[in-house]
Amino acid sequence: MPLTSRGRELLLRVPAERLRSTVGVGCEIVRHDELCVGCGKCAAACPSGASRRGETFDVRQLLDAPADSRRGALGAALRRLALHEPDGLIEVPARVTVFRTIDFDAERCLGCGACARGCPADAIEARPPEVPS
Amino acid sequence: MSERSIVAFCCRECAYAAADAAANARTALPPTVRLVLMPCTGRVSPLHLLTALADGADGVMVAGCLEGQCHYREGNFNAIDRVAFVQRLLESVGVEPERCRMFTMSAGEPPKFVAAVKEMDRVVGALPRLERPGAPAAAAPAGARGAA
Repeated sequence: MPLTSRGRELLLRVPAERLRSTVGVGCEIVRHDELCVGCGKCAAACPSGASRRGETFDVRQLLDAPADSRRGALGAALRRLALHEPDGLIEVPARVTVFRTIDFDAERCLGCGACARGCPADAIEARPPEVPS
Repeated sequence: MSERSIVAFCCRECAYAAADAAANARTALPPTVRLVLMPCTGRVSPLHLLTALADGADGVMVAGCLEGQCHYREGNFNAIDRVAFVQRLLESVGVEPERCRMFTMSAGEPPKFVAAVKEMDRVVGALPRLERPGAPAAAAPAGARGAA
């Protein structure tokens, strides 16, 4: 269930270690940054504030995109022009809504998998916890 | 100078109309420029700009409506930010950001369009030809297709 902005605000005040020990679900979240399109849907879906949409973009993410991914054509075009490896993070103008590098704080992650379900690019994997038999 | 090529993505509501009027008035445009008609500059994606550069253009320009006068309300603001983003992308991999520029004008300003194209031609003409170190050898230029 999506949280209201007030609910999220309250949840963000809970210290990270307490969050995990009380409500942790325990999926292991694996992010594939080279597939990420930076849309921020994981950050919008995240109940605990572990994924956050940043204001910068890591150009390496684009250059590493596999050819058949959503960013493949753009990454290939930039790769052809590149004179050297990217200098690092670049600022993203306000109206460019995608191309954001997502900050992921594993400490705050509950392992609920909401981000993986919300991801349109299949860039997030939620591996369920091992169930002892 | 004329071996350079510049691709100009023009908004149908203003820049392309201005280009049309300029052509009707028999104003000469620099031979380096190729016009691409867009419904609105808000349709121009970073993929259009980067693919044009990667496939043979030495410079790309986006020509749209005056700020606040977009036919679709705010497409030109989106384009301004995307051009700024592409400039930063280019800069971070060592390509001159001046190769990608945004210009604004109204449909009734053909001289402003011609001035913008000449400005772009001057800037790109002063730069060396665009190198494509990552391109496969002797790749044939292809059209800019697809979406981001």
